[in-house]
Amino acid sequence: MVDFQLTKSQGQVKEFIHQFAESVVRPMSLQADREHHIPDDFLLRLAQMQLAFSGEVPVEVGGDGGGAGEAKDKRGKSQKNRFAMIGAEELSWGDASIILSLPGPGLGGPPVQFMGTPEQKERFFGVFKDRSQLHFGAYGLTEPGAGSDVSGISTSCRKEGREWILSGRKCFITNGGKADWVVIFATVDRAQGRAGHRAFVVEKGTPGFTVGKIEEKMGLRASETAELVLDEVRVPEDNLLGGEVHYLGKEGFMGAMKTFDSSRPMVGILAVGIARAAYEYARDFVRENYLLARAIPRYAQLATTLADMKRNIDAGRLMCWRAAWMADEGIGNAKEASMAKAYAARMAMKVCADAVQILGAHGLEQHQFVEKWYRDIKVYDIFEGTAQIQRIVIAKRILREPPTF
Amino acid sequence: MISFALDDDQQIIQQTVRKFAAEVLRPALRTWERERGVPAAARRSFHELGLGLIDVPEARGGAGMSALTSVVVHEELAFGDPAAAVALWAPHLAPAAIMELGDEAQGRRLLARFGERAEALGAVAYSESGNVPLAGFATVAEKVAGGFALRGKKAFVIHGGAADLTVVFAQVEPGRGWDGVGAFCVEGAVTQGARHDLLGLGAVHAAEIVLDGVVVPEENRLLGGADGFGPSLRRFFARAALTSAARQVGLARAAYEYALAYTQERHAFGKPVAHFQSIAFTLAEMHMDVEAARWMLWRAAASDGNLDLGLVAEAAVHANEAAWRVADNAVQLLGGAGYVQDYPVEKWLRDTKSLALCGPTSELQQLALASLELGHAVDGDGAGFPASAIQPIFT
Repeated sequence: MVDFQLTKSQGQVKEFIHQFAESVVRPMSLQADREHHIPDDFLLRLAQMQLAFSGEVPVEVGGDGGGAGEAKDKRGKSQKNRFAMIGAEELSWGDASIILSLPGPGLGGPPVQFMGTPEQKERFFGVFKDRSQLHFGAYGLTEPGAGSDVSGISTSCRKEGREWILSGRKCFITNGGKADWVVIFATVDRAQGRAGHRAFVVEKGTPGFTVGKIEEKMGLRASETAELVLDEVRVPEDNLLGGEVHYLGKEGFMGAMKTFDSSRPMVGILAVGIARAAYEYARDFVRENYLLARAIPRYAQLATTLADMKRNIDAGRLMCWRAAWMADEGIGNAKEASMAKAYAARMAMKVCADAVQILGAHGLEQHQFVEKWYRDIKVYDIFEGTAQIQRIVIAKRILREPPTF
Repeated sequence: MISFALDDDQQIIQQTVRKFAAEVLRPALRTWERERGVPAAARRSFHELGLGLIDVPEARGGAGMSALTSVVVHEELAFGDPAAAVALWAPHLAPAAIMELGDEAQGRRLLARFGERAEALGAVAYSESGNVPLAGFATVAEKVAGGFALRGKKAFVIHGGAADLTVVFAQVEPGRGWDGVGAFCVEGAVTQGARHDLLGLGAVHAAEIVLDGVVVPEENRLLGGADGFGPSLRRFFARAALTSAARQVGLARAAYEYALAYTQERHAFGKPVAHFQSIAFTLAEMHMDVEAARWMLWRAAASDGNLDLGLVAEAAVHANEAAWRVADNAVQLLGGAGYVQDYPVEKWLRDTKSLALCGPTSELQQLALASLELGHAVDGDGAGFPASAIQPIFT
């Protein structure tokens, strides 16, 4: 049955995480942005509150699964992705950098989940069981010379005895500098294209594996974005994700791509969370400041802009929910995942720009939040596949779809 | 529980209507536009499908389907041809008006004809012809012996003058604006004025009607539901908006799919034009527009039982915007072929503008939404009803 109501437990999760986002995350937001850093003790406190780990946030975004999201719906289908949508929107509403900095495997989670052997999952996820300290995973695919065209990566790998030797540079790696391990994509032979790709888990402190520049960014300043340098790094063969057998077919590259099916709707809903934060801020600002001016025609213009913002946010959320629902149902959703991300990101860009506009000059003041969200949101049009890449994915798929009649 | 899965019976109805749209509506799209109407045979086929009273409860002679099933059906009909979707829906908005504004007994008595006869048309006369007050109606209902005498001239009435039952909105208490209005069911023929020549939806008969003292018995006055006339009138317009939005989604999907097929068949510089990125990206945008509009529509329709007027308003505005953009893109992607009548897309670009004026306008809906969000009325008169003086609408 078509339904858009949250279940009781989904409603409770939403309420709980919203409270947390409002009372704990948001108050830290401006300071973390200003200092380009989230205090470790703050993150540790978050970790120990176990919010990120108790199952409201699935493994794909930093939790370790389990909990409410693992409950099956009445038809025996997983609700994991739908729960993730609900929780992530609220956290992102609190602060977008902080959710990306939550301890956990981060974007490194899905490739280990999808490609790793049981032993590898146990080993690499095991580190997050220690909650006395901060632990991170990361995902290293992008290179200075290979972004959207993933098949063009040049970080090399070659086997010597029971070790692989990796050399190259990775850039724009979220939490890359502090990660306990990073999933690094490398190639045995560039001429082989995607078939030559291998994914390794490279652990912190491995000789030759160093952190280069930490980027200073337009937005998401409190989230660490690092360059990683691999200089003849020796990695044990046990760290090749899935083992060599995994790369006999086309699966190697598909493993890298498969993770997008749940991460893209996730990025989309994070954009929805930021947009909603900006919208609510602007709406409350209008309510509190402009009420006396309602007789002037411009007020109706501002009011309808607010109505547009709200409506478009709702549409963006539905696009993300749709992709997440398909993932829960086990229906292939590569197209819908891309649509969710593309649609939500562009929508959120417009909403954040409108929020700044509505506040007038106040919108540029750093204590008013909206200028931060305006900076934060831009990267949602870029990371996890640019707006253009999403449209290539969508177009490829729709060209193969049969007509209604 | 968030779910986008149609029930089995909804899927069966969808397939049935889709077949009707493919076999009957789409092939006749130009013929019916040229003839400015739909043939009696098509009316009978439509009647046999039992779609006319789809969301009217079974107790009142309807099919008793949900609002969600109803929007699924209207999308498929409009996918075939938006004009036929409007023209073939014989009862039109009259049942919605009677259900929301009338009582049980009126529903049973007045709606039966639509279930019995394929030729029984319904109409709703709302907008005024000529100069009108900002609030309320110029058409008046005067208390006389045996009921109310209606005097005035209505415009933009779909099935106007051809209908078997016309719901007429009129001023009962002059000078009281929206607080003094009423609705009356005129049974039998009413005098038709000029027929409108329309930009789109050419197969639809829309006309002025002249009310020259026709007397409506007291029992045909619709007094509104338990919560009063105003809230009932808002719900009526929400139902009109849902139907209109469903048609916009169907129209948008038709235009998108047509452009998708055309750009793959047409070759330039040695490959299908769809393989050029500027074209491919536009197709991707069109697809996203259609999907987002549909989920907004479904979310609004799924709230039925306690219909959420805010969700309906959002769905309506979204569908209007999406459909116009998609139809415009379709014409653009077909280039010159999009502009000539050998292809259907130019018609859809005209039709979408007409559909956007059937039911509350996007501008009014946005003000209603803003009022909900800000917690106080944003529009000038605060009533939130379509006013003939500003952007009159088709009903």
